[in-house]
Amino acid sequence: MNDANNKWIGKRTIRPDGADKVTGQATFGADTTMPGMIWGKVLRSPHAHANIRSIDTSKAESLPGVKAVITSADVTNYSPEKSVILGIQDMRWMTRNVMAREKALFHGHPVAAVAATSQKIADQACKLIEVDYEVLPWVVEIDDAIKSDAPILHEFIEFEGKPSNIAGTLEHKKGDVQTGFEEADVIVERSFTTRPVHQGYIEPHACLVSVSADGRATIWSSSQGQFMVRAMTSMLTDIPQSSIRAIPAEIGGGFGGKTIVYLEPLATILSKKSGRPVKMVMSREEVMRASGPTSGSKSTVKMGIKKDGSIVAAQGTYYLQAGALPGSPIRGAVGCAFAPYDIPNVHALGYDVVSNRSKVAAYRAPGAPIGAFAVECVIDEISEAIGMDPLEVRLKNAAKEGTQAAHGPVYPRIGYYETVEAALSHPHREIPLGKFQGRGVASGFWFNAGGESSSQVNITEDGNVVVTTGHPDIGGSRASIANITAELLGIDYKRVSVLIGDTATIGYSNLTGGSRVLFASGMAVTDSTEKVIVSLKERAAKIWDIDPEAVDWEDGYARPAGANAGMFDPLSLEELAERATETGGPIGAGSQLNTAGAEGGFATHMCDVEVDIDLGIVRIIRYTSFQDVGRAVHPSYVEGQLQGGAAQGIGWALNEEYIYDSEGRVDNPGFLDYRMPVCSDLPMLDTVMIEVPNPKHPQGVRGVGEVPLVPPLAAIRNAIYDALGIRFYGLPMSPPVVLEALEQGEAAE
Amino acid sequence: MYDFKYQLANSQDDAVSAQSSAEDGSFLAGGMTLIPTLKQRLAQPSDLVDLSGISDLIGVSAEGDSVTIGSMTTHAEVASSEIVSSKIPALAALAGNIGDPQVRNRGTIGGSIANNDPAADYPAACVALNATIITNNRKIPADNFFTGLFETALEDGELITAVTFPIPDKAAYAKFPNPASRYAIVGVMVAHTGGETRAAVTGASDSGVFRSSEIENALGDNLDSSAAKAVSISADGLNNDIHASSEYRAHLVSIMASRAATAAG
Ligand SMILES: Cc1cc2nc3c(=O)[nH]c(=O)nc-3n(C[C@H](O)[C@H](O)[C@H](O)COP(=O)(O)OP(=O)(O)OC[C@H]3O[C@@H](n4cnc5c(N)ncnc54)[C@H](O)[C@@H]3O)c2cc1C
Repeated sequence: MNDANNKWIGKRTIRPDGADKVTGQATFGADTTMPGMIWGKVLRSPHAHANIRSIDTSKAESLPGVKAVITSADVTNYSPEKSVILGIQDMRWMTRNVMAREKALFHGHPVAAVAATSQKIADQACKLIEVDYEVLPWVVEIDDAIKSDAPILHEFIEFEGKPSNIAGTLEHKKGDVQTGFEEADVIVERSFTTRPVHQGYIEPHACLVSVSADGRATIWSSSQGQFMVRAMTSMLTDIPQSSIRAIPAEIGGGFGGKTIVYLEPLATILSKKSGRPVKMVMSREEVMRASGPTSGSKSTVKMGIKKDGSIVAAQGTYYLQAGALPGSPIRGAVGCAFAPYDIPNVHALGYDVVSNRSKVAAYRAPGAPIGAFAVECVIDEISEAIGMDPLEVRLKNAAKEGTQAAHGPVYPRIGYYETVEAALSHPHREIPLGKFQGRGVASGFWFNAGGESSSQVNITEDGNVVVTTGHPDIGGSRASIANITAELLGIDYKRVSVLIGDTATIGYSNLTGGSRVLFASGMAVTDSTEKVIVSLKERAAKIWDIDPEAVDWEDGYARPAGANAGMFDPLSLEELAERATETGGPIGAGSQLNTAGAEGGFATHMCDVEVDIDLGIVRIIRYTSFQDVGRAVHPSYVEGQLQGGAAQGIGWALNEEYIYDSEGRVDNPGFLDYRMPVCSDLPMLDTVMIEVPNPKHPQGVRGVGEVPLVPPLAAIRNAIYDALGIRFYGLPMSPPVVLEALEQGEAAE
Repeated sequence: MYDFKYQLANSQDDAVSAQSSAEDGSFLAGGMTLIPTLKQRLAQPSDLVDLSGISDLIGVSAEGDSVTIGSMTTHAEVASSEIVSSKIPALAALAGNIGDPQVRNRGTIGGSIANNDPAADYPAACVALNATIITNNRKIPADNFFTGLFETALEDGELITAVTFPIPDKAAYAKFPNPASRYAIVGVMVAHTGGETRAAVTGASDSGVFRSSEIENALGDNLDSSAAKAVSISADGLNNDIHASSEYRAHLVSIMASRAATAAG
């Protein structure tokens, strides 16, 4: 698997979508147009929380140029009493998220939508819609939302017997923490907060939908799953899935934020009503107000350690913001928090808290960075308390093959230990630090996912290869698939072209999410390619009139397997393709798999900071990620994942946050005010790819996309401590916050 | 965006007359500020008079002890100008740190000054270097030019044609960029020219660029950076927003002044 003789797997081939993207030819969500197309626009709530008494759309409807107006009455209703699960989403919440039903639950919540012949008329029509609101008290912060007299968002949600903003809990237990803490020599308990941050994809949500007179819908949109778009749109419009064709556009970033629909069902209903293709494109402001972000959180973590460095007990309590409708990633927070460690006694508890903010969406390892932030900070403190290097503590307690994780599984062969070992022996660790510089480390885990994936591998008549899979390519998966196919067939990479099929042209494939794409589609494509190779051997056997078992496939040629098989000149893929008709017809194979065995991914990050103590600015001066990547099928795109995650983590740790004003509105809904890092804020982000192949995958692939966002928050915070001797317990550690802490420290001295 | 009429001016006269005969005309320079304003429907000019075709508004020249920069010269051109880099390196460095490459390659010195954003960089340079803003019908000292929040001494239809900067003995600009927009949260230009020390502060006040006499007194003729650092600036009247409190900005004023002084050497 990690074979140096590989021709393509592990090689930095040129990505198939590269030229299109660099030259601006790639077609993103907003790039498709159609004859007769009109424009959809969403009317959004001006209130953070309000009952919708009535909506009068008559004036808007009579405005010339307006072709359709819709409200929640046009969207399929699901009773709030009963859950209707689709993947990890619940359609009773999804219907209320795409269009407010009983209530407007956050500032920017859609309350109606129009379609008109121009964007200008659509704007005007929105202003003519009269909504009678009963404005309600609102709440956006966790502490306020869980107070006993808090304004309640959903009367039907109960916790401990009465209406509550706590929409659910999740608990993991292993051993008995009580006894565990009794064994500990040192116990540290700390509380933390993190702020909500947006995924920050460059491409706003966009779609074009055309519903024909016979009720068949075609959707062009940018998403992390055309099958998700089809299923959700179907469930929200009552159009059967067989009558919806969802075509994936190139995607300009998602990071989890495009695993649900916002616009597609609305555009579908508008198109159906108007009889015209309807295009909808969010503005950046709409993206920031009404899509994404990930949860803000508060947490308390307590850990007990013995003098010899063994962690004996760990307890974590997490409150995560869900936004206006239930469904925060508590599973990621409580499941991943302690997952890198072999701790005998663990108790992790998560609360899902609703408040008047936009509904959170997945963001790279949803919940896990929040879980890890608190734990990895506390590990830094217990290590210091017993006078042991924090990496040595991690090494000593590292989960390994056979470790029972608190969230359930017994680990198979995993590479966490190796990431810590690599960090311990890396030259980065030896670089001397200057004044106000510090070094921090932290680790992280993400579950990774398998699931459904389909592929089709076809040999063209001229002997080249077309591979179709069903997952939108966000991180370079087409290049990796081409590497795998070329390797298995023994042909030049350039002869393989990889496409993403739409819902009508390829079998069901689950989301591009959960770090699953190369794991799952790699399996499906391997399966299809192996079937193709069997077929190629059969055809050669037929031509040579020998047994198919007596044919080998090697370097793109069918060859007789040894002297006994007969003396025949090898047959190339081209020759076999040319003779396909006489040997059995078209050559190709498809696979539809439900993949399993996507084992967890682990990483350890090391970060050096320098603090400008006059200004409070924290600069990252050196950063190295050590990650068990299973098998880097395409190293450049694996490195890209590691670097991207670190960059996003740096933003989350140091500057990014949603800021709300006194009316419950987002106060920084655009990149002029939302503080995302740019290239010039970052040093070179170094990566060390450790390959501990996943034994359950034909190429050894483990998911790599999400783990990189798990360790940075704590690694940076621990580095700041090393630089200043000040421990922070909340994010972001922005310049004014750091300066204030420095001044307080001075005052205390 | 509302509808407007687009006109491409060929000369300064052409631009001025096109603007004055329009119902409510606006000059269009790099469009980096004006176009987003239009998109957000915060302005509704009847006509946009594009200045990009007027070649004598572009370029840098040095004469005697001053440098003159045409109003349509982009930030990138100022940053890479050999004349500016050798005569007033602080100004080249300032231009090279405005926004991002796209902004620097479109945005102009004239547009920036006419707009007088309270967080823009050039106003600090103009005031600290005691520049003269040259328009189609007069010369305005920088001290009288920047009159308030997005307000200048320009009359309706008055066209900035160039800005003349006396060459300082020493000067430097230090900026604390907004982590999101890269505008100045606080920027201080410190200059010593012909026996006079000036310190102009941008970003800190809602009413735009101002000279700080406390800082100037502390800096003295030798641009004493530690004295500047020790100055305690009052937070009263300073900007307070989601990025920084007025106290934090007050603190930044002395620190950035001190850093500018150190850099000026
Ligand atoms: C993302 C971003 C980041 C930025 N960061 C910074 C920063 O860090 N620092 C900074 O200083 N600025 C920053 N800017 C602003 C930038 O410098 C703009 O270019 C500048 O403010 C306006 O210049 P412009 O040439 O684009 O003018 P325009 O937008 O075309 O015009 C602005 C105004 O000036 C008027 N005007 C233009 N030229 C003349 C003239 N010759 N005579 C009279 N009136 C005229 C116009 O009518 C208009 O009212 C940023 C802008 C953006 C979009």
